[in-house]
Amino acid sequence: MVKVKFNYTIGNISLRQLTYRKRQTILTISGISLGVMVLISAISLMDGLLQSFIDKIVNIAPHIVISGEKIKTTVKDTLYQASGKTYINFIKNVERKDEEIIKNYSRVIYLIQKEKTVNVIAPVVSVNLIAKFGTLSQPLELLGISPELHDKIVKFSDNMISGKFSELERTPDGLIIGTTSASDLSVKMGDKLQIVSNSGGVVTVRIIGVFSTGINDIDNNAYVNLRLAQNLAGYSSDELTNLYLRVTDLSKDAAVARSIEKMINYHAKTWEETAASVISLYKMISVMVYFLVFFVILVAGFGVANVLITNVLEKYRDIAILKSLGFQRNEITWIYLIQGLFVAIIGAVLGCLLALVMIKVLGTIKITPSKTGSIRSDRLQMGMSIWYFIFASSFAIIISLVASIGPSRGASKLNPVEILRGER
Amino acid sequence: MQKPIIRLEHVCKTLISKSNEGIIENTILPDLSFNIEQGEFTAITGPSGSGKTTLLYLMGGLDKPSSGKIFLNDWEISQMNEDELAVIRNDKLGFVYQFHFLLPEFSALENVMIPMLARGKFGQKQAKERAKALLSQVGLYEKLSSKPNQLSGGQQQRVAIARSLANEPVVLLADEPTGNLDSHNSALIYDLFKRLNEENGQSIIIVTHDEHFASKTDRILHLLDGRIDKDQVLHN
Ligand SMILES: Nc1ncnc2c1ncn2[C@@H]1O[C@H](COP(=O)(O)OP(=O)(O)O)[C@@H](O)[C@H]1O
Ligand SMILES: [Mg+2]
Repeated sequence: MVKVKFNYTIGNISLRQLTYRKRQTILTISGISLGVMVLISAISLMDGLLQSFIDKIVNIAPHIVISGEKIKTTVKDTLYQASGKTYINFIKNVERKDEEIIKNYSRVIYLIQKEKTVNVIAPVVSVNLIAKFGTLSQPLELLGISPELHDKIVKFSDNMISGKFSELERTPDGLIIGTTSASDLSVKMGDKLQIVSNSGGVVTVRIIGVFSTGINDIDNNAYVNLRLAQNLAGYSSDELTNLYLRVTDLSKDAAVARSIEKMINYHAKTWEETAASVISLYKMISVMVYFLVFFVILVAGFGVANVLITNVLEKYRDIAILKSLGFQRNEITWIYLIQGLFVAIIGAVLGCLLALVMIKVLGTIKITPSKTGSIRSDRLQMGMSIWYFIFASSFAIIISLVASIGPSRGASKLNPVEILRGER
Repeated sequence: MQKPIIRLEHVCKTLISKSNEGIIENTILPDLSFNIEQGEFTAITGPSGSGKTTLLYLMGGLDKPSSGKIFLNDWEISQMNEDELAVIRNDKLGFVYQFHFLLPEFSALENVMIPMLARGKFGQKQAKERAKALLSQVGLYEKLSSKPNQLSGGQQQRVAIARSLANEPVVLLADEPTGNLDSHNSALIYDLFKRLNEENGQSIIIVTHDEHFASKTDRILHLLDGRIDKDQVLHN
């Protein structure tokens, strides 16, 4: 006999009540749509920033970097039984800690070449020295490279503003400088710089090119011939600080790095590992932004609760009448849940449309490049994915639904007798 | 003899309210037993506070007795739960309140249609036809699409009467339906009830203060302090 019938009449009553108070309903829908719009735009902005950063990194960073840092092994060299169950473990530690260089690198390359997925192996000597120009002197990170190989690793010639990257091959005293360092030292093409070597000697180099990658950490550097860097650092010709690798399948780089580490006993870091701290910083900022935006939607949820509470409070008489006419508890609950859902769904749809416009508009905004950030871009790169919309909409709808439950159930529990008597 | 449509057996209604002085028990109806027959037009009279409304709500399945049994046809409505009562109210009972409770967002026609559609007793089309017929029966064919606030008090009460007849109720219950109306409109409403009873054989129970009107019904139940003071069968 008792059947919960969800029918047209319930929906009709529900929406009639809602549209009867137009202004309040429109205001609440606006609240929801604004919340959804802000959330989607924030996600798009944060995701876009992270994505553009990753895109740049992937373009400019080697897939895997091998450093001179030895993998510490805890192989038991000697186990000495002191007494009973107590053992003393002696570990050989004869290497000096400060010297993190790859020795006999041609042999290391030979070993790495066994890993078939490695495409390119490029030798690098990275050394921090003082550069002097006129009265100015600045610390400068010099990277000694083999231009032809390095270009295969990161397509570096694309970043050249003036000069040719391949010139370095034939210019033993040539130097290619990043825009950041160039402006710090106020040097330009053709200028002659003095570099103070590790042994104290001064070497004069000539600027034969200027580059810009958009990543300040790299634009702080300067590139020289491998041999020159080795001389300046005081290394012999078979010593390096790093090897840069390019692999065929970027998604498998971690596995390749681990297998290489086993073969050569030097640390191998993938680009994700190198950029991990920056990426996690981005993610942390994103979480904070989302957290703030969640409150916007939460407030919009209060708006929904408010609409329903007023609709219920002002409709005591109507609820009593509906009950006396034969509507059951569940059906009364539905009348109000539908109102909450309706407001939320319309608000979410409008919010999604507004967000589309917002993302387009934000994407065209020009920003002045900053020298201090880790990346430079003249335009905001906005992310775009259907998931932003699905996520923000479902969040708004769930919040609204939760906000609707209380008032709706309150309405269904009303005792019609007191109201029909005219006591309330 | 036909079975009674409403049967009360030792119905007692006690209200328990909590106040500062403790729990107060207020027995409104101590012990009522009577029958209402099919097609009967009954007036319930009595001074204010004698328990008329309480009694009507018990018979109308809106409230439950503290003890005793109430039967509507063969259904013991005093045993039913809230949802079962809702179905009975929709399907078997028509109610007209002292205040004309119409839904303000809906037209007169829609207000009459809602009980028909609520539990799907009638289809949309059928409900519309029935609602039109009922509204013309109460003399409001011109006002089908008017909203309640565009209608006078008397007109609103007639819409409420049309609504109470929506699902062909076993019995129509009315609680001082003219309480807020002028004498002209009151007369109109009383004539309407009389006609419904005489022409359609509609069973009606009406609570009223109007002695003159009560005297034109089939039976007067006079209440005094929740007891039947007089049960008068008239021969009109
Ligand atoms: N909800 C209630 N709380 C307390 N007392 C009530 C309540 N409802 C009714 N009463 C009391 O019950 C008695 C009968 O009320 P009612 O049935 O409305 O009488 P009538 O309709 O004949 O005027 C009155 O004394 C009234 O004060
Ligand atoms: Mg009363």
